Amino acid sequence: MGAYDVINSRAARVDASDKVRGRAVYVDDMKMPGMLFGAMLQSPLAHAEILDIDTTAARRLPGVKSVLTSKEAGLVKYGVSPARYDETIFCHDRVRHVGDNIAAVAAVDLDTALEAVSLIKVEYRELPAVFTVEEAMAEGAPVLHEAYPRNLTAEVHHEFGDVEAAFAQCDLIKTSSLVNKRQDAAFIEPPGCIASFDYSGCLTLYSSTQVPHYLQRVVAMVLGLPVGKVRVVKPYVGGGFGPKAGANHMDLAASLLSMKTGKPVKMNFDRKQVFMHGRARHQFFHTITTGVKKDGSIMALKHQCHLNGGAYSSFGIATVYYSGSLLGGPYKLPAMKYDGYRVYTNLPACGAQRGHGAVIARACWEQQLDMIAEELGIDPIELRLKNMMTVGDVTCNHLNMSSLGMKDCVEAVRDRSGWKEKKGNLPPGKGIGMSCGFFVSGAGYSIYRSETWHGTVIIKLSEDGGTALVYTASAEIGQGSDTTFAMIAAEAIGIPLEWVRLESGDTDFGLDLGAYSSRQTLMTGLATKEAGEAVKRQVLEVLSEELGIPVEDMDIKKGVIIFKRETPDITALRTRYIKEHRGWTDNPSPDEPLSFREASRIAFLSRGSIVGTGKYKPPVLGGDHKGATVGTSPAYGCSAQVVELSVDMGTGKINIEKITDAHDCGLAINRTSVEGQMIGSVSMGLGEALFEEVKFDDKGRVLNGDLAEYKIPRALDMPAVEPVIVESDEPNGPFGAKEVGEGAIMPAIPAILNAAYDAIGVRIFELPLKPERVYQAIKQYNQKLAKQGAEEMSSAKRDGNLCTKDAQAIDISSQKMNVKGK
Amino acid sequence: MKKLIRVTVNDVAHEVAVRPNQTLVDMIRYDLGLTGTKNGCGEGDCGACTVILDGTPVNSCLVLAMQADGRTITTIEGVESGEGLHPLQQAFIDKGAIQCGFCTPGMVLSAKSLLDENPAPSEEEIREGISGNLCRCTGYLQIIDAVKSVAK
Amino acid sequence: MSLPEFDFHAPEGVDQACRMLSDYGAGARIFAGGTDLMLDMRRKRISPEHVISIAAIEELKRLDFAPGMLKIGGCVTVARIVKSKEIALKWGALCAGAKALGSCLVRNLATVGGNIVSARPAADLPPSLMVYSASLVLKKTTGERIVSMDDFFTGTGTTVMAADEILTEIRLAEPPPHSGAGYINLGIRNACDINILNVASHIVLDRPGGVINDARIVMGCVAPTHVRALAAEKLLMGEKPSEALFERAGEAAMKASSPRGSAYSRASAEYKKDMVKELTMRTLGIALKEASGSRS
Repeated sequence: MGAYDVINSRAARVDASDKVRGRAVYVDDMKMPGMLFGAMLQSPLAHAEILDIDTTAARRLPGVKSVLTSKEAGLVKYGVSPARYDETIFCHDRVRHVGDNIAAVAAVDLDTALEAVSLIKVEYRELPAVFTVEEAMAEGAPVLHEAYPRNLTAEVHHEFGDVEAAFAQCDLIKTSSLVNKRQDAAFIEPPGCIASFDYSGCLTLYSSTQVPHYLQRVVAMVLGLPVGKVRVVKPYVGGGFGPKAGANHMDLAASLLSMKTGKPVKMNFDRKQVFMHGRARHQFFHTITTGVKKDGSIMALKHQCHLNGGAYSSFGIATVYYSGSLLGGPYKLPAMKYDGYRVYTNLPACGAQRGHGAVIARACWEQQLDMIAEELGIDPIELRLKNMMTVGDVTCNHLNMSSLGMKDCVEAVRDRSGWKEKKGNLPPGKGIGMSCGFFVSGAGYSIYRSETWHGTVIIKLSEDGGTALVYTASAEIGQGSDTTFAMIAAEAIGIPLEWVRLESGDTDFGLDLGAYSSRQTLMTGLATKEAGEAVKRQVLEVLSEELGIPVEDMDIKKGVIIFKRETPDITALRTRYIKEHRGWTDNPSPDEPLSFREASRIAFLSRGSIVGTGKYKPPVLGGDHKGATVGTSPAYGCSAQVVELSVDMGTGKINIEKITDAHDCGLAINRTSVEGQMIGSVSMGLGEALFEEVKFDDKGRVLNGDLAEYKIPRALDMPAVEPVIVESDEPNGPFGAKEVGEGAIMPAIPAILNAAYDAIGVRIFELPLKPERVYQAIKQYNQKLAKQGAEEMSSAKRDGNLCTKDAQAIDISSQKMNVKGK
Repeated sequence: MKKLIRVTVNDVAHEVAVRPNQTLVDMIRYDLGLTGTKNGCGEGDCGACTVILDGTPVNSCLVLAMQADGRTITTIEGVESGEGLHPLQQAFIDKGAIQCGFCTPGMVLSAKSLLDENPAPSEEEIREGISGNLCRCTGYLQIIDAVKSVAK
Repeated sequence: MSLPEFDFHAPEGVDQACRMLSDYGAGARIFAGGTDLMLDMRRKRISPEHVISIAAIEELKRLDFAPGMLKIGGCVTVARIVKSKEIALKWGALCAGAKALGSCLVRNLATVGGNIVSARPAADLPPSLMVYSASLVLKKTTGERIVSMDDFFTGTGTTVMAADEILTEIRLAEPPPHSGAGYINLGIRNACDINILNVASHIVLDRPGGVINDARIVMGCVAPTHVRALAAEKLLMGEKPSEALFERAGEAAMKASSPRGSAYSRASAEYKKDMVKELTMRTLGIALKEASGSRS
């Protein structure tokens, strides 16, 4: 491109200098005078009636300042989506999972608070519990929330186009399933907060949140405070990935404890509590049926999904919609039917995690597309190239492809990985596989039904001139959004990045919906751009008045005023500026061009503080069916990946050797950050594909609530990754930019599944692909082969329903047997 | 009962009254106010609390404060010298090795220890050397690049 | 969660440590590397009244290469084992076990003695130490005794050690000529994992290219303690090594092992059994390579 001075480059992060010195402040690094420490009493039982709570002994313990239960806190319901508010700060009649919240204590130190918690006596009557989808939906099963019979948080039934008619025209119909395991986001910083209620009646809540705005609203609503009296401040956050994208009971309890005691109250989750709070990726059970023509044209998709949701809704209602709607792209698909069920169980609630709702659906389908390609004798890449949408296409569920670099992504990974030479030519135990991905670039609608702006930004020029102060309530959680917006502001104003100072994550700065749905670059970015252009225009207007030159004949670039026609005499202006800066050593010399610093000082002298504001909300998007709001977005990111791996056939252990990954992020604002999101996504996808699962015992207690037994990738597990940035021009994004943060995870899991198949000759329909699962698949496959003996292998098409009943079912592809069968 | 220990942290001698059941990370963060050392898991799994104790990088959550008596500690705040950032720190900035930053202090200290002992590590040795430090954001590759760029 | 309350002691020598241990009785716990003890205390599995740190006692940190004998002080860190060139050369399987233990950060604290005394069936060092016929020096105020590692473990978390004894030294005879050993641990990740299974094997040939006249195979994670695969060992005796022989040995080890597995454990019993065979074969392969190689 080259048309830009700041963006589309490789900039060092604006926070890197502090972070590398250990100077960046996270919430647990803060302390305040008189600060108390809070702790929480959590249920040891998965499902029980609360008969009595006795806090007498806890209150009597010296050093205890406040003990709260539902009696003090009230029963205002909250959650993520107003349509499914089903939580209260503390349980009053029933606990619904191990870790459910019963009481909170504030004391002079943490040990005292913990001791007080241990002194609270709760009398329970244990109730039968349900832990699986089957148990929860069974006839006569205990119901977690009376308003939701059969424990259905939400169900979705969508049909676009005539699915049955489309299937009737198909030459091949394939059904397969995939099930993943409950995930943990495993951010390295456990959530924490400090609530400080002051005597003017204002609550300031410092929280490691991804969504200051939603947190502010929920805190105000639940605690009965005016929104204007609640300020949420997000310090640096040590990773979010989804589960920090909602108000949690700790934020609320700390706030209430501070209100009751008149002191700041700090609370933290320890690592085990992170697991007991949950809110990360659901366990999904997908079954997909795809119909294609002989030439590979995809005609129809039928999709059923059950989500094990845990005890509360959290994001679940959105999750179950996303699971269906995002299969609308990136392929041309005339007809699609979806039935989704999100089910309550007596486990910690699941919520959103990177690639919200869509990751396992994508994995299931992309694995199936490979099966179809193989049966049709078409190269998997050719099948995808044949079917993919192009710019201007609209999906059957009304998603609009305003930009789509899908073809470039696929061709890039094909060519750079050496796909053509490797595919079909690797020895047994080695495999290559690919997949595409597709995701929203920001949710088209806010979580609560509203006409709200999704992001507002204020840019004020410092009164001395020369520095642009950017104020945004958006959430830097590690992804690099502060740097992105500083770069956009600098570009929009026409100044170097170093002249921008940015403050973010504070609800006093405006409204921003926060870091979720891969939304900030596009949405907050547009608001930042508008604010930057507004201050630039004001500076140029003043210059126009002073110099008598039309605004459109001037510009600001690299911190210098550009006069497009004749260069005027600026001596008078410069003299005014220098006069105000006697004794300063950096005043401009006579032959220098007029600087932004001089111009913005002159503008201040003329107009007072120069403030520009920007705002963004998406236009009305999508169809008018129920749930049409979920999956709509002003733009869509897409991606493709090729995975090369080897399998230790004796143990089943997979070793990922190389990943070639392409992502279309529109115009890349900061190429280093884009690659960081891509490689980080690969790492998270690899962990989910190979290692990660949260396990519970038969009482609903988490078994591996730590980072030893919940296994995320370490440095020795990461393969070489070649990231390829594909830059389409997104008309709805700032300077053509769109998302990368979440979409980049989409192809990781299915590409690994497809490569594993290529290596071992047998499909696996359950994650993670840990050594035992892979080994058993190889073993069963070999046993089946042995049984068939020398029998001639049937070349007849196999029953497409083979894999639907049991997620672990083995699908033997006849074409594969001779090649990879041992 | 609290006991006074003597400990040299980042070349500064301190006397600190610590409880027997107090961890080193706790003392460093809350008594000395050196909050660059992070607490991520408390069980030696994540490495966010890495400090260099008598020349060896350790999880300071697995060490009792009293065990530091008479010993020398380097935390992230002590990596920068009078001449400015350690080359490794600059490399972390330049290579995009930092995202949320929570693992960064521990990662820098592990990498520094590695290079102090082995100035020319192979890529495998670099991966091994930072394998005790979890990072969920970056996928490690930029961190490995940063260490490589400083290695001889 | 913070730690339970206790008194902290840092004795200057082994004798003083033994006295303290004897004085404080059952309420005392030895702190060596602390990597297991700190977890146990954090999770309130144990709440000692006295914690006796022996990590700084010099005589426990000695690594002596006496003629014909390796003496490892109880508080030698696992990292030092990894870094020792001499150990890598002569006791390669021990080096492999040490490399597999935890992360590099954990290895800087964890001690050889601690990895033995905590008696966890998934521990990385015992299989190799056992195939090298290690013996353990246990000390208390009234004297010391030497116990073979074969007789040391009595169950998960339990050993023959008395409450007032300290493991001060691990002794390994120098492996005989034409011998070799191998260790493999299987986890889910490439490093820092808790083992699904681990096996060490050791063989001695009567001469280069000759027959096996001694063999030891030790398996972890298949029983409450580390166990020897005696049937497999016996099968190897007097035989000329071959892939087929090792496969039979693997099968014998598999048949003799009775691992437990449930929906909640790291792997099923069936998988563990198959892996006993696989890892036995592979470790025997490594052992043979070493026995036939330059070291013998």
